[in-house]
Amino acid sequence: MLPINKITHRLCFMMSKTLYITCCCGCCSALRPRYKRLVDNIFPALPQDGLVKSNMEKLTFYSLSSPEKLDRIGDYLFQKASRDIYRRRHGFVIIAMEAMDQLLLACHSQTLNLFVESFLKMVQKLLESTDPQLQILATQSFVRFANIEEDTPSYHRRYDFFVSKFSAMCHSNHTDKPTRDSIRLAGIRGLQGVIRKTVSDDLVENIWEAQHMDKIVPSLLYNMQGAEKYETVLCLEPETDTREGIEEPPKLAEACLRELVGRASYGHIRSVLRPVLTHFDRHELWLPCDFAVHIFKIIMFSIQAQYSYSVVEALMQHLDASGGGSGTRVRAARATVLSNIVAIAAGDSVGPSVLEIINNLLTNLRASVARDSELSFQKESDERLYQEALINALGEFADHLPDFQKIDIMMFIVSKIPSGRGKPTKADCMLQSILLKSLLKVGTTYKTTELSKAFPAAFLEALLRVSSTSEARTRALLQRILHTLLDRRANAPLLIVPTVNYEQLGLTVEKCSRPDLIFISKHGYAIFSSLYEGLQLESNTAENISAIYTTLSLLAIELASEETVCDMLQLILAIQQSAISNPVLSAAQQCQLHAVAVALAALVPHVLVLPPLGDYVKQIIEARREEAEHMLPPLSDEYDVPPNKLPNKLPYLMIDQMALGECLKASGIEPSRLQTASPYTGGATVGLAHRHSWVEAGATQGRDSLADISAGPVTELDSANSSPGVQRHPAQSESVSLEALRRAASGPSEAERRDAERRKVSLNNTFRTAPFDHLLHITQPKYEIQDKLEEIFNSISEEPLLPVGAGSPAGKTQNQVQPYTKYLTELFLY
Amino acid sequence: MEDYKFLFKVVLVGNAGVGKTCLVRRFTQGLFPPGQGATIGVDFMIKTVEVDGEKVKLQIWDTAGQERFRSITQSYYRSAHALILVYDISCQPTFDCLPDWLREIEEYANNKVLRILVGNKTDREDREIPRHIGDDFAQRNGMYFLETSAKEAENVERLFMEIAVELMEQAKCKELPKYDGSLGPINDKNKAVAVAKVHVLN
Ligand SMILES: Nc1nc2c(ncn2[C@@H]2O[C@H](COP(=O)(O)OP(=O)(O)OP(=O)(O)O)[C@@H](O)[C@H]2O)c(=O)[nH]1
Ligand SMILES: [Mg+2]
Repeated sequence: MLPINKITHRLCFMMSKTLYITCCCGCCSALRPRYKRLVDNIFPALPQDGLVKSNMEKLTFYSLSSPEKLDRIGDYLFQKASRDIYRRRHGFVIIAMEAMDQLLLACHSQTLNLFVESFLKMVQKLLESTDPQLQILATQSFVRFANIEEDTPSYHRRYDFFVSKFSAMCHSNHTDKPTRDSIRLAGIRGLQGVIRKTVSDDLVENIWEAQHMDKIVPSLLYNMQGAEKYETVLCLEPETDTREGIEEPPKLAEACLRELVGRASYGHIRSVLRPVLTHFDRHELWLPCDFAVHIFKIIMFSIQAQYSYSVVEALMQHLDASGGGSGTRVRAARATVLSNIVAIAAGDSVGPSVLEIINNLLTNLRASVARDSELSFQKESDERLYQEALINALGEFADHLPDFQKIDIMMFIVSKIPSGRGKPTKADCMLQSILLKSLLKVGTTYKTTELSKAFPAAFLEALLRVSSTSEARTRALLQRILHTLLDRRANAPLLIVPTVNYEQLGLTVEKCSRPDLIFISKHGYAIFSSLYEGLQLESNTAENISAIYTTLSLLAIELASEETVCDMLQLILAIQQSAISNPVLSAAQQCQLHAVAVALAALVPHVLVLPPLGDYVKQIIEARREEAEHMLPPLSDEYDVPPNKLPNKLPYLMIDQMALGECLKASGIEPSRLQTASPYTGGATVGLAHRHSWVEAGATQGRDSLADISAGPVTELDSANSSPGVQRHPAQSESVSLEALRRAASGPSEAERRDAERRKVSLNNTFRTAPFDHLLHITQPKYEIQDKLEEIFNSISEEPLLPVGAGSPAGKTQNQVQPYTKYLTELFLY
Repeated sequence: MEDYKFLFKVVLVGNAGVGKTCLVRRFTQGLFPPGQGATIGVDFMIKTVEVDGEKVKLQIWDTAGQERFRSITQSYYRSAHALILVYDISCQPTFDCLPDWLREIEEYANNKVLRILVGNKTDREDREIPRHIGDDFAQRNGMYFLETSAKEAENVERLFMEIAVELMEQAKCKELPKYDGSLGPINDKNKAVAVAKVHVLN
């Protein structure tokens, strides 16, 4: 077979040689069609003389006047060039190509279509040659063609070969660098040409199909990754976009990528992004992530703004993908890339896509926490890096959203926080703290104007719910969220720890606005009682107490008004009272609460300018400084207090309710509200009736739960309890002592005693507290309530110490079961 | 007037270093390149042969074996009429990877594609894969089988000629429209020939 083959070739060769010679002599030109003669005449005798210009003009003129001949001219030129390529007479090939270029540009007629077929065959023929020069020449012609707008594009024309070949050229491995670069440049220009030619008309060739994009995109990226350094600019300068101008493959590839992305419509974005992600995985380009950031920013800068969300989405969905060297470091790198681009998307994201992004980030966080908690908690795992990067992305994103959306996002995040139902697992705790960190990150970007906007009821309620979680560190984190949302005047950094010297701090104080007053009159009680309860927890560290102090002092400043002063003072008195009467508190915690109470008491007259009150508090401070430094700030973790200096032995160093009333009166403020019954129930409210706590009243964890915001102002408590200076233990404390006595024989430990007290008190309160329903707009399914009731009664019957207040009838209990705890907890839609 | 009557696209795949590029250059240029560097992405070569007096143009896409180029090389499988899967008979790992390659082919190539298994470098003394092992593997997977040496020009010409013959036969009996340049899309009707039966070429 082969010999035949060779013979045939040889035969062809000889024949065409003869033909060629004949043509050159022009002997038989009379026998040839006119168009062939015209074509023959454009070729010089020696290729280096170049195209015979005058004859080319004749050919062009002829083509214009007889456009029906154009296709035959094209075909004839192609045949001649094919032979010349075979004979390696490249000079003549170049001339033929040049002639075709000129004809193409000159003839804008309908018949161009047929000519184009020959033209493209010619280009392909040249591209098939192994000679770089011909390949580059062919590309130039192709690009020229690509820039012509055809009246009637040919629908059967396909560009498959060109995409394949140009992509191969983009990967040229030619040993000579300048040659390699020019082949690669030609490849990129060729791809750019195909894109321009096809992008506007899917019928011609759907360039967005995977078979094309999987070649084009990696070819561009491969050239870009070779750059010496990555400089990302918003958009390229116009002159760099001119096809001939760019001499470095990375730059040209970038221009081409931008053009491609910029032309992608919604349905096509994914076709571009998928190969990008695959390329990064395959070439392990995520780490270090500077190139990835570079590329994704370019994509974000050049994509049509309304689609930028899809980039974020695609990257998010890829966060967890295997490949790319995989492992957590790669995930972290991807998340870092995400945090670098997410802000660019934020400006253009609307509606559901925002929450989708957030939800997706949270889902990834949750997955990461799950992985993380499976590992033993040795070393700073890479997983943490990943979580940090995700949280950063969240923050970056939120930072660029309008404020009203930030609140939505914060509510959404809060809704994802697992609530302590039963003993929280390690994963739950981690997730809780991760989500709060996210919340803090978002919260920091929010700029509070009106409190009611920053704290929509449901959001506030959810925050307060979390504020009772059993993890002390998590509670501190929650307070930091409150700080960032409350602090409109940058006072928070000055108030991190309690102090009594406010003069030097330089606090910024303005009068409280009307809407804020309305807000606090609605929600003040819920907030204050939650913070109050937060101070009553056995697991509190000095950090927790300081954090709550900061929140309270910010409230005192942000709500500075004569209308709120009584509420504030009442709370201060209650805190002081609880330091004396709450049996679960350690001596250190008692001291800390006294210090906080007096620190707040000193802040109120400073903020509102009430000299009589200020003087009174100063006296107390002075007296304490003499006798009981441990009842003043700063807080410390351990106190070494002699028994006779214990706070409850020093009634004369207490802030006195009557005296406060007098001071207010002296400043013209009506103090009667100060005299009303304290809504805070002294130490007795410990572990107040948050459902979870009394449901698990037997469990040790139960206590550290939210002060029930349903603990209404209606209370049976003796008002004398809140009257300071009078050292009267509330009834509950008495029964504690009795209980303690009873147990004394068997030697109950301090902890046991507190525990018992706690259980008793919490159950007590379950039945005492009236509903507080301002915040509650959420209904709860019936069966929930019934389940709960069942649990309650079960726990009641198991509780031997229970002083069940006359065995509350079921109807009454039902009223007290507030459905709010359930709110959002089922929103774990992962 | 065309300078060929049939156009077939042939794609070479297989691990890095098995000799794909050398096979292509031996066939298209008649030489064994000294110090052939690893292929980057994809290389392209063209060769026109004659079968039964008819010119057949073979468009040969020589892919890089390196892992990192796998995604771009896969995109070339789709339009292939024939896929040459190459391993190195003196290198067991290149043979062990064949199932992976088959999976990729399964996933990315047209399922009617003509598949040829090639054990290259028969000139080498240190053979690790006996001929019949390669043959068996090909049989089991419905592939043609051939052993070659790009260095000694053994079976190289034959490999491509057999492909041309087989594809032309397929094309004729299915009355395929001939390819007009390469501008035509791969016509799925072309691929209606199942290669269920195994032809061992030698
Ligand atoms: N002895 C011998 N060596 C060969 C033969 N074919 C190729 N080689 C050698 O094998 C090495 C790799 O050959 P290539 O053709 O570059 O391999 P490849 O499959 O194209 O590799 P990639 O492009 O990286 O996928 C070179 O050093 C060749 O000299 C052969 O038939 N016999
Ligand atoms: Mg190679």
